[in-house]
Amino acid sequence: MGFREIVRLGLESLLAQKLRTALTILGMVIGVGAIVLLVSLGQGAKNYVTSEFEGLGTNLIVVQPGKSDKKTHMGPPVGAAQRKMTTADVMAIEKRALNVEAVSGLVLGTVTVRFEDAISNITVFGTNEQFPFILSVPIGRGQYFTREEDEYGRRVVVLGRNVVNELFGDADPIGQTVKLNESEFRIIGVLQPMGNKLGLDFDELGFIPTEAALKLFNDDKLFGIRAKASSRVGVDDAVAEISEILKERRDGEEDFTVLTQVSMMESMNTILNMLTYVLAAIAAISMLVGGIGIMNIMWVTVVERTQEIGIRRAVGARRVDILKQLLAEAVALSVLGGAVGVGGAVIITVGLYLAFPSFDMRAPLWIIAPAFLVAFVVGVVFGVVPAWRASRIEILDALRYE
Amino acid sequence: MSLIRTESLNKNFTRGDETIRAIRVLTLSVEPGEFISITGASGSGKSTLLYILGLLDTPTSGRYFLNNEPVEGLSDTELAGLRNRFMGFVFQSFHLLPRASALRNVMMPLVYGAGHGGVLSEAEQRERAISALEVVGLKDRMNHRPNELSGGQRQRVAIARAVVNNPKLIFADEPTGNLDSKSGRDILGLFERLNAQGVTILMVTHDPSIAERARRQLILRDGALVEDRRGI
Repeated sequence: MGFREIVRLGLESLLAQKLRTALTILGMVIGVGAIVLLVSLGQGAKNYVTSEFEGLGTNLIVVQPGKSDKKTHMGPPVGAAQRKMTTADVMAIEKRALNVEAVSGLVLGTVTVRFEDAISNITVFGTNEQFPFILSVPIGRGQYFTREEDEYGRRVVVLGRNVVNELFGDADPIGQTVKLNESEFRIIGVLQPMGNKLGLDFDELGFIPTEAALKLFNDDKLFGIRAKASSRVGVDDAVAEISEILKERRDGEEDFTVLTQVSMMESMNTILNMLTYVLAAIAAISMLVGGIGIMNIMWVTVVERTQEIGIRRAVGARRVDILKQLLAEAVALSVLGGAVGVGGAVIITVGLYLAFPSFDMRAPLWIIAPAFLVAFVVGVVFGVVPAWRASRIEILDALRYE
Repeated sequence: MSLIRTESLNKNFTRGDETIRAIRVLTLSVEPGEFISITGASGSGKSTLLYILGLLDTPTSGRYFLNNEPVEGLSDTELAGLRNRFMGFVFQSFHLLPRASALRNVMMPLVYGAGHGGVLSEAEQRERAISALEVVGLKDRMNHRPNELSGGQRQRVAIARAVVNNPKLIFADEPTGNLDSKSGRDILGLFERLNAQGVTILMVTHDPSIAERARRQLILRDGALVEDRRGI
């Protein structure tokens, strides 16, 4: 009996009982569908994080005080440093590192911002004038502060979109003076609306010169240093240069950590991949249920078709022909279920993508082949025992079975 | 050279503690071209004998030579091959596949023939099955399912299926048992035509008037061959 004949027989008997077939494959549909959906979800999360990372700029280098285990790539614990990181370190990098295009210190703090009676609490970044070249923070109106304003610690501020809206409504804020805590700052720029990037709402931020920030927070050390390599291939060289310079300035001690955007993205992806696999493994349990459903119905089929099996054997079917035929039916059931599951999941993910375009969780193409493979394997595994039993029935017993 | 030869065939069944001797020391030989009826009261072992000779059942002891070759020790595949290419079966209750058309029922032995060295393409299988249906006069009903055919027509489909692979032997188990007398006579006429073409036929029946049409009548009682009557 040829392959085509086997497939034909399998499909024929499935089509003969459409409702039963539909109910039987339901378990497989849900199982395969769930796997594809969850993998797509994980993939979507990865795409989202990647695009967020890339939206912040490219060739980004992050330097944090304190040494952390190189394998984690997520930076050292805050406050773990022995030595302070200062603006002098930033100057040294700027002067000597050839592969660094822009570098800025970073001071972080929260302040109360006041204009007349309006009050808002915001996070403030203290940076130098190069910061907009490192992270993409597009200016909507006005301008970012200049090098001179930074060096002299002028009290000027660039505010996020929402902060301005809260304090000024529709009025023009440029040139107005606000109070950050008790100090007066002049507004020189407003950011374009940016929304949330990696959990940070840029519309709720304020940017002031580094020296002004250190004064405002009464501090003398940086939270960290941010830099941008001059090219993608130059990132590793830039990291090496920064490490070398900072080490030299610390008597050879490496109590800081240099991370790149790539390495942070990689470790993020590692976590998200792990999450995807775990989700897929959980979904695989539902395939087990689907497989058991198929096995159940195959037992029923074997009993119902005992006489047919006897007839086929009487006219010359070998045991192996019977085995193949019933196995083909089980596989047809599971693959059909897999096909419907994959199809349904693809439609759902595309639908979700159309509804929420910023979160692209369309099912990746590579998932389709493994999904079918798993469906096929489930069919074989759960079909083989009933099929084998059917092939062992004695012909006469089968013929006489009513 | 005998087509079928048995030596001291025995077949026992156990039912509970009881052993039933369905076939007792039965020795028999059948020559090519014979038309044999097997009769006997119910429980006399006539169907059991037919199934053993037709390789659907195995004897408890004794020897069976088919075409001078011993049957014992043949593998499942070899037995299936002999059933497929060397013999055909006709059953009292037709044993057609209910979901398949007459044509597909008749094609079935040819489909499985591929596992036994058959080389027919699907088109050739179809052609062969159609001409077999033509022989039994049902070519015009080949796309009907069994439940759309009368009893006599179903049995003729079964006969077409039995002869489609040009077998040497046809085993028929009460082929007219479920039919009215007119259809029964038609079926018998078909067997006689096939026999005239050289096919050896063994037919179990309990109807003496049908048994008498055979040129050789075997009569069984309690599993033993009590009479071997040859006609004119």
